[in-house]
Amino acid sequence: MPIEITMPRLSDTMEVGTILHWHVAVGDEVSSGDLLADIETDKATMELQSFDDGKVESLLINEGEAVDVGTIIATIASEDEEPTVDNIPSSSDIPVAKEAEAPAATVHTPSQKQSGGPRVSPVARRLAEEHGVDLASIQGSGPSGRIIKRDVLQQVATEATTSETTAAAETTKVPQPVAPAPIATTVVQPLVASSPWQQDRSVPLSNMRQIIAKRLVESKQTIPHYQVTMTFDMDPLMDMRKTLNVQLAATGIKLSVNDFIVRCCALSMATHPEFNASFGGDCIHYHGPVNVGIAIALPEERGGGLVVGSIKHADQKSLRTISQESQYLSKKARETGLSPEEMGDTTFTISNLGMFGVDNFTAIINPPNSAILAVGSAVEKPVVRNGELAVGHEMTATLSLDHRVIDGAMAALYLKALKELIENPASLLV
Amino acid sequence: MNETTTTEQIMSEGPQAMRSLSKIELAPVPNEGVLLGWLRQMLLIREFEVRTMQAYQNRLIGGFCHIYIGQEAVAVGSIAAVNNDDPVVLAYRDHGHALARGMDPKHCMAEMFGRIGGCAKGKGGSMHMFDADHYLYGGHGIVGAQTPLGTGLAFATKYEDELMKGGTSNHVTLCYLGDGALNQGCFYEAMNLASLQDLPVIFVLENNRYSMGTAIERGTSMANELHVKSEAFGINHAIVDGKNVVNMYQKFKSIADWCREESRPFFVEADTYRYKGHSMSDPRKYRTKEEEAQEESIDCIAQLITYLTEKFDFNQDALKQMNRQVKAQVKEAVKWASESPETPMDELYKDVYTDSWGPYTGTSKPEMLEEGGAA
Amino acid sequence: MGPVHWHVKTGNVGRRGCSVSVVTTERIIEFRDALNEAMSEEMRNDNRVFLIGEEVAEYNGAYKVSKGMLDEFGPRRIIDTPISESGFSGMSIGAAMRGLRPIVEFMSWSFSLVAADPILNNAAKMLYMSGGQFGCPIVFRGNDGAGGQLASTHSWCVESMYANVPGLKMAIPYDAYDAKGLLKTAIRDDNPVFFLESERLLSTTGHVPKEEYTIPFGQALIRREGTDCTIISFGRPLHFCLEAAEELAKDGISCEVVDGRTIRPLDIDTMVDSVRKTNACVVVDQSWSFASLGSEIASQIHSICFDDLDNYVHRVHSDDVPTPYAQNLEQAYLPNTRKICEAVRAATYNA
Repeated sequence: MPIEITMPRLSDTMEVGTILHWHVAVGDEVSSGDLLADIETDKATMELQSFDDGKVESLLINEGEAVDVGTIIATIASEDEEPTVDNIPSSSDIPVAKEAEAPAATVHTPSQKQSGGPRVSPVARRLAEEHGVDLASIQGSGPSGRIIKRDVLQQVATEATTSETTAAAETTKVPQPVAPAPIATTVVQPLVASSPWQQDRSVPLSNMRQIIAKRLVESKQTIPHYQVTMTFDMDPLMDMRKTLNVQLAATGIKLSVNDFIVRCCALSMATHPEFNASFGGDCIHYHGPVNVGIAIALPEERGGGLVVGSIKHADQKSLRTISQESQYLSKKARETGLSPEEMGDTTFTISNLGMFGVDNFTAIINPPNSAILAVGSAVEKPVVRNGELAVGHEMTATLSLDHRVIDGAMAALYLKALKELIENPASLLV
Repeated sequence: MNETTTTEQIMSEGPQAMRSLSKIELAPVPNEGVLLGWLRQMLLIREFEVRTMQAYQNRLIGGFCHIYIGQEAVAVGSIAAVNNDDPVVLAYRDHGHALARGMDPKHCMAEMFGRIGGCAKGKGGSMHMFDADHYLYGGHGIVGAQTPLGTGLAFATKYEDELMKGGTSNHVTLCYLGDGALNQGCFYEAMNLASLQDLPVIFVLENNRYSMGTAIERGTSMANELHVKSEAFGINHAIVDGKNVVNMYQKFKSIADWCREESRPFFVEADTYRYKGHSMSDPRKYRTKEEEAQEESIDCIAQLITYLTEKFDFNQDALKQMNRQVKAQVKEAVKWASESPETPMDELYKDVYTDSWGPYTGTSKPEMLEEGGAA
Repeated sequence: MGPVHWHVKTGNVGRRGCSVSVVTTERIIEFRDALNEAMSEEMRNDNRVFLIGEEVAEYNGAYKVSKGMLDEFGPRRIIDTPISESGFSGMSIGAAMRGLRPIVEFMSWSFSLVAADPILNNAAKMLYMSGGQFGCPIVFRGNDGAGGQLASTHSWCVESMYANVPGLKMAIPYDAYDAKGLLKTAIRDDNPVFFLESERLLSTTGHVPKEEYTIPFGQALIRREGTDCTIISFGRPLHFCLEAAEELAKDGISCEVVDGRTIRPLDIDTMVDSVRKTNACVVVDQSWSFASLGSEIASQIHSICFDDLDNYVHRVHSDDVPTPYAQNLEQAYLPNTRKICEAVRAATYNA
């Protein structure tokens, strides 16, 4: 097999070479070291020598012709007695080591994205996000109006004493929207002395109010609401409550009427599973656990609005447990805010405006629940007992229902079951 | 000092402690077997360098590449005169010395191919041939930088032999340099320190008369009386014929033994000639074709062959067979080198430090050392 | 008894894995003596270690650092050299390749420039170029920095230039305790170490325990705790940093001063922790500002602490001019207390 002579790389930057002159002809004998040709490179005219002994078999390139480095320009028939020397393998035959990534030197890359708007130092931006502070509301004290750390911290301190919620509420499940009847008389802001407004003003919505607004509209627009109302005789329950609270006095636990109602509602689910279900488009999802949500109003200092605390597995919990949890959730919601865990996964919700003296009202369903019970206060009034006038306590409660899941008859039956439990509270003990 | 004082007289009467070495006795010529071994080594080096050139032109070798063809006798003759554990350090025209020292040609070629099988795992290249098993301390790219290293290696052997082993200085260091390095300042600092401290280092000048394209007369003052350079430091000087490996060895052996015993430096000037350019991209326009032809006519390998033929009846068949063996060995080395895998990416951050920290991943030895032997 | 990691001194706050112990008796010595002790102790333990340089032997050291060592170890191991930095650096590197462990003293790091080729091309790269065959366990040490009216050729701060090169390690001690602990580590390290001392610090004193201890590389030290601004520095400028911190404290600005101690490796983690706490950072580097150690640290802080910064990292350097001779000019040129205070005020929006 003949030896191939290729256009050699005669300088480290050479790409193309020109044969200026062949010093041999086909048929000539050559030895290693003999001059074969003069080659012009990018830098100089260089000599091409033979590396092998043999006879020139062919000259493939003419004088004056330019070819790329690596092109075959001639062949020599070797005279070696043993099998011919193989060509020096070309650079394309390099075996590749097993695939390994180039080791990356540890480089930390910044993750901040560019944004328009006010200049903000990176830590100020981060703190603002963490504390839910709107940068637009801050006047920066740094150069060129840059908002810096102390500006944000000052704003956080200021906002803590005015109406703004923490960012924790944003990322959690939907807080229970409570939409009162159109006229505002039924809803009273508790506790906070409101100052009379002297002039028009616009207050931007807090994150919570934005979410309430969105969810309320969504609920009303997508769920076919209807209401069913029932009145309950509250005397037996109120008597039992009094008795139990005396017994529990030493423990510090004080049962509320709502605690009883939570338990009653939860137990009633057993025979009325539609009340513990959600509409699923082409099916109805029946939930296993009975998680009753209780609506908790937040004071103005906390931004107003309300959140729903979740009492999980309320059907398995005793009154006292329900009471403790309910108190805990209310307190925490008012003080620091609830965690997503504490607010999530309700299957049924109760909203109680009884403590404000409300007789009755209707509530908007808290998706993905199928029903919500709006509870009014237990009012002392003339009642009919055993065909005779008497004085007793009665409470009115109104169910709002998703007609896709629960129809009127089911609602009536549920309320009947509820009534059985509420008016015979001793049955809660077994 | 009277006017007729000759150099030799100065040498023996000089104020510096230049212990007298008025005459260099030639060491005896070794036996035929040893000489045949030298011939084979020189043929190996030459064939290796030929294939190196070919590989370079085929783009398998990149960067700078300096070919030793024509100078083989200097490396072979001098290295034969010292022990395996005597340190050797040199500049970048180092393939021949590496092979003469005993490096397997496959590792030398693989190094130039940039593969993991190379003596420096492909991370040094043509100019950085290192071999710990054979006490070869490189292969250095900056002209002259190896000369203080040579002084330092001699310092270390003396420190070890005398201070740590409680004996006498028992090593000699060979430090090769080209005529170009004669103009680099650190060479003089190296000689000064070697002489002050009585260090057993031989500075072997491979005087091929050209530093790149500059003839020695254009770059070095006193180019024809180079002995003055070492005498300035109280270091003895000798000239050897770098084309005659037998003579090279005979003189060198005596010098090396003297240095070892006296623990003194020496400056040996070997006259030689490189047939090829300074490096692969040098068209050699600064020399005449006549000069090159003249030099090639007294080629060192041809001289040894003549000597062997005359003295030991060395015949052409034996030569042919030796040539064939050498060609096959080099061919095998090239094949092995081309099959050696590319240096893996994780070597990039290895051998920067001996320990691991940050992105650096410690150090490991090349497979050449693990094999524990040489050709 | 093997080495114990002490971390002690009134005023030092231990961090980063050092155990803090209570000192019962203080042993106050000079910085130069701490260096002497480090070298002598290592030379006693390992006969491969030797000291070489100009005037280190018979003169007892140009700055008296090697006082008495010739008497103890003899001329074989304490070696006077001619003025030949390139030569004796290269020679020592050759010896190190063979396995000896030289300590090479430059009378000033300004003089290392003539030896730049051996120390950067040979020492730092030997292990890599030889594919792991030959290391270079060598220490180059000497005075670095300006401040004594030595003018421009004798006042070099080489850290920024040399720190750019991979393969070498670099340490800058600030006090006597660190000088001894870091130099011992340097001598025991199998890699080339550039050990940058300061002529201005040689006479400072501090507590140095008698017991054996070393300080590992890559471990910065908080020299003063604070909450408003992190000041990062190395070597002599720390003196100015601590002065500045005192002054700023009067104005209610609380500075945390971090002594980096080693440049390669760099303990960026301690620096980052501090900046995450204070949200502001000033780097004080005595070399010139362009392409410097200060710019490297600032860049790293920016990329790692991007979201923790209230302001970009401010830097204090010597002025970008050759070092002047006149005292007033030189004092103004240095990274002095005034410049540091200004930088901290600017970084914390207190200007």
